Amino acid sequence: MSREAIEIVEHTADWSLRVRGADLGELFTNAAKGMAMLMVEDPEALGDDVARSLDLEAYDAESLLVDWLNELAYLAEMDGIVFNEIEVNEISETRLMATVRGGEALVLDKHIKAVTFHNLAIQETASGLEVTIVFDV
Amino acid sequence: MKRSDFQRVAPYVYEIPQTFRADMRVPARFYADGELLEAALGDKSLEQLVNMATLPGMVNYALAMPDIHQGYGFPIGGVAATELPDGVISPGGVGYDINCGVRLLGTHLDEEDVAPYLDELATELQRNCPHGVGRGGKIKLKRNELIRLVEQGGQWALKNGYATQMDLEHTEENGRISGADASKVSYRAFERGMDQVGTLGAGNHFIEVDIVEEVFYEEAANRMGLFPGQIVVQIHCGSRGFGHQVCSDYVKRFQPVVHRYGIELPDRELVCAPLSSPEGRDYLAAMSAAANYAFVNRQVLTHLIRESFEWILAGKVKNHHVYQIYDIAHNMAKIERHQVGKQTMEVCVHRKGATRAFGPGSAGLPDRYRDIGQPVLVPGSMGTASWVLVGTEGSMAQSFGSTCHGAGRTMSRTRAKKTVQGGTLRNELEEKGIRVRAGSIRGLAEEAPVAYKDVDRVIEVVHGAGIARKVARIVPAAVIKG
Repeated sequence: MSREAIEIVEHTADWSLRVRGADLGELFTNAAKGMAMLMVEDPEALGDDVARSLDLEAYDAESLLVDWLNELAYLAEMDGIVFNEIEVNEISETRLMATVRGGEALVLDKHIKAVTFHNLAIQETASGLEVTIVFDV
Repeated sequence: MKRSDFQRVAPYVYEIPQTFRADMRVPARFYADGELLEAALGDKSLEQLVNMATLPGMVNYALAMPDIHQGYGFPIGGVAATELPDGVISPGGVGYDINCGVRLLGTHLDEEDVAPYLDELATELQRNCPHGVGRGGKIKLKRNELIRLVEQGGQWALKNGYATQMDLEHTEENGRISGADASKVSYRAFERGMDQVGTLGAGNHFIEVDIVEEVFYEEAANRMGLFPGQIVVQIHCGSRGFGHQVCSDYVKRFQPVVHRYGIELPDRELVCAPLSSPEGRDYLAAMSAAANYAFVNRQVLTHLIRESFEWILAGKVKNHHVYQIYDIAHNMAKIERHQVGKQTMEVCVHRKGATRAFGPGSAGLPDRYRDIGQPVLVPGSMGTASWVLVGTEGSMAQSFGSTCHGAGRTMSRTRAKKTVQGGTLRNELEEKGIRVRAGSIRGLAEEAPVAYKDVDRVIEVVHGAGIARKVARIVPAAVIKG
């Protein structure tokens, strides 16, 4: 891909990321990695000792993306685990099965209260897919 | 949008006519002066105000307060009233931090009494009041107890020794929104809320020890026990993971619902359902449960603050008693009766980053404040002034009994962090004599005063427009942040 996969977008009150991927699987992977970078400075340093399998169903692709990120934000809030290695096993517009690996962060830099639907639309571009996500922090 | 899209219709009031965009159901009004209007044109907040005006059942105007800034769905600083029974309720119009709000506590101490112990007090407040990202509190509740808490609100706190009767009387809705129904709340919300009662959280939430700098409305200040030089304490926080989950659950559930009710929206975050629909009623009941969680959260923090005052000041000052002046919500939707033209109407008032500001004589005010109007608490940015106001006849007539909620951001968090170093900021505040106790130095930079509007300017607008009246200006002595 020619353009950056994860880009921080200016937002007055909250955090916003523009994420790109060749297909849905890569888009969802990059979105998760982008959120991990908001939560801790260096997600890779946390290791990959913890693994979880996730199986999510939703109304459409945007809802699935919000569910996916909310699930990871929830695991960070409850258990302090930030996941940075993402393996998408199966994905459609309404179902995602993935295995995620990561490690415990003693302190989170940023608390993601929620992932919003604000102007959320997965767009097709010449090189694949692109979406801008606003996080309530 | 551009400056010429706005027409000045009264001092401090700008209007965007309904003709501006075909999907607007009502005109939009923005309370501002020329400079605040220019500042608001710098982000997408005014487009979000126009989006608000498209909601079914809107009454009068989509309103924005002078502290407006870009949010998601509604702008922060937005007020939208929808008509019952078929107007809509929008979870995104309340926000994820349901009943985020401010509490002001009074003391019988002046700054000289506390000065020798201020460092110790700030450290003790930080130690005793749990804060930080996802940080659990001192109270761990089983599900059944948490059900009682969210359905009873302030009454639960009273029964469990965290509140006094006066605390509840001096809280919006007496700390309990009726109609809260725990069965409309997900298992996950309970799971997230289990150990977060009595915790501050992170972001822009804080506890602040302040000094009353100047009084502008003697009678109202006397009624609240405020005097120049007095030590007071502010708490700013909300419903923590419990409320965030309730909002997430319903924004998700409402995605297909809008289509069922034939509602077309310019932004998916605005999803909504008629108040008369099962989905609308369920959200209102769940939101009310989260609102009660937030009232109790601030109440338990009040209890912890009282403990800290006792531990540090007992035996050293004449009276270390901490009493409650008032507690307000600034992210909420409430069913209220308002005068619209010549008739009284029942409406659902969404206040997203806006404060209820009921005028003198309004129903629901405690006896102590009935004739002066409801106390309104407006925190400024970190290290700057905050304001105590009261609601007015003007707020009842113009803005569904609503006014501003803070200073309002002008600079993104990313830019604030590039512009300001957390450590330098802390040193600057300390040099001004303000004690800073912060969980995250990186987080501190995001909340730098330079990232916010001038709160005094915001207050001039609401005071000048008559949608609130100045009572007192307070300045910080010690800030405790997550």
